[in-house]
Amino acid sequence: MSTLLKRLFVTAIATGLILPFLIVAGVSISAESNISFPPQELSARWYTELLTQRDWLIPIRNSLVIAAFAGLLAVSIALAANYVLWRLKSGFGKLVFALGVGPFMLPPIIIAMGASVFWAEMGWYGRAEATVISHGVFFVTLPLVIIARGFAALSGDVIEASRTMGATPWQTFVKVIFPLVLPYVITGYALVAIISVNEYLISYMVSGFAVETLPIRIFNNLRYGYTPVVASAAMGFALLTIGVLLVLSTITDLLKLLGASRD
Amino acid sequence: MKRALDPHLIGLFPLAMMSVFFLAPLAFMVVVSFYERDPLGFYNVAFVWDNYAKFFSSFYYTVSMRSLWSSSLGAIVVVLLAFPAMYIIVDMSRRWQLFWVILLLSLMCLSEVIIGFAWLILMSESSGIPKFLGWIGLWEDPRSLSPSFGAMLIGFITLGFSLVALMFYPQMAQRDRSIEEAALTLGTPPLRVFTKVVLPNFWSAIISSVVTMFVYFLGVFVMPTMLGRPQDWNMTVIITDKAVGDANMPLGAALSVIMLVFTLIIIGGLMLASRKKGAAS
Repeated sequence: MSTLLKRLFVTAIATGLILPFLIVAGVSISAESNISFPPQELSARWYTELLTQRDWLIPIRNSLVIAAFAGLLAVSIALAANYVLWRLKSGFGKLVFALGVGPFMLPPIIIAMGASVFWAEMGWYGRAEATVISHGVFFVTLPLVIIARGFAALSGDVIEASRTMGATPWQTFVKVIFPLVLPYVITGYALVAIISVNEYLISYMVSGFAVETLPIRIFNNLRYGYTPVVASAAMGFALLTIGVLLVLSTITDLLKLLGASRD
Repeated sequence: MKRALDPHLIGLFPLAMMSVFFLAPLAFMVVVSFYERDPLGFYNVAFVWDNYAKFFSSFYYTVSMRSLWSSSLGAIVVVLLAFPAMYIIVDMSRRWQLFWVILLLSLMCLSEVIIGFAWLILMSESSGIPKFLGWIGLWEDPRSLSPSFGAMLIGFITLGFSLVALMFYPQMAQRDRSIEEAALTLGTPPLRVFTKVVLPNFWSAIISSVVTMFVYFLGVFVMPTMLGRPQDWNMTVIITDKAVGDANMPLGAALSVIMLVFTLIIIGGLMLASRKKGAAS
């Protein structure tokens, strides 16, 4: 494997991953009303439509509100589970942690189907709150694993110092532990929020017919003939996702967080 | 305040949340799979095996077989691409690694709907690859490349690539390079080092990522509906169609239970195999 071949292989993969979005970007700034590329004339009309029309603004609002609360729920569950594991080290703590990893192991359809019958029975079928809770619980794995890295990085002597100086466990948590794990908490929150905004199947099966989120809106739009507004919505999404990740990369070391180096 | 921070007490919160909103729905799904369909509502309480009996028909046999086929093919291809790619990427400069990590994380978070839509456009005759090939004269009569099995598979691969690549990333970056370096200094060609030293070390990681991807692709809904033909639709599409489209929740639940049992057997088998291997070495 010469260096050139290696470069070629990696570049080909990067192209395959990025190219579709370049085309979408091109379509979204085309002035024509049917989808075509390359654009003959440039215009921002599809973005204007996306940000002014009610049938796009409502799904955008729904998605953002669901994501904001789902992230909060997932992070609070993950933080509590990690604190317990950190304090108890074994048994009960491990059980709580293992439960949080569970949703990641199963195909999303099973989780979506389970949530669907559960909320139908509870009478919350079709309510945004149901989607919030389901998202918060099912996406808990990511913040759980990320916050675990934060707790692993805590050094014993700060905790010891705080304890010997007479701090209660609550004071130690608020003044010492929480500030130290905060970057991990923020990263976990942001990732859950982005995944929630992007999620289709669970939102669709829990409350899709009543609470239209942006992915559901796009999917429905594609089924019944589509306009380039979809392209501008897709671009808006992609830019939001990349933007959040870029901001994250400035507050935490993403490479280290994903395990590039030994801690 | 000491009592308020009793770890057992705090542990009750995540435990309760996960039990009530993750385990209970799965358990309730098993219960509903024995209920009867109510044409006017969701279901009637009953205990019947009808929903499971429906699974044993030629239609569901065909659907099961093609779900297994598309998921396993997708899983193998995506790992074959991601493994060598990560092997190369971890040796790149920090700047390029960060570029890749952000690209992969973005793709991981990005909606199936958006990725599917992007490929739909790229493969359409009005704006994508067919138009380009027609324009440079390589394709006389350009036609849309989707829906097709190939388009669906490409969708699967784009969807799974970021996940597998990010799973390989830490192991690949932290691997012990001493044997590789020794082999290289002794004059072994790099390709031989890759196949004889790197690959055997990662064998179990590769197997477990193929299995993870296989399970993941079994549950994909958007890609088959957007990029595949009706004859490519997997079990997930059929389940969603029955549960939401036909409002037949008991049948959807029964099919999901079958998929759940199948998945648990696979994950259990994988864990058992890795434990045996751990005990042997």
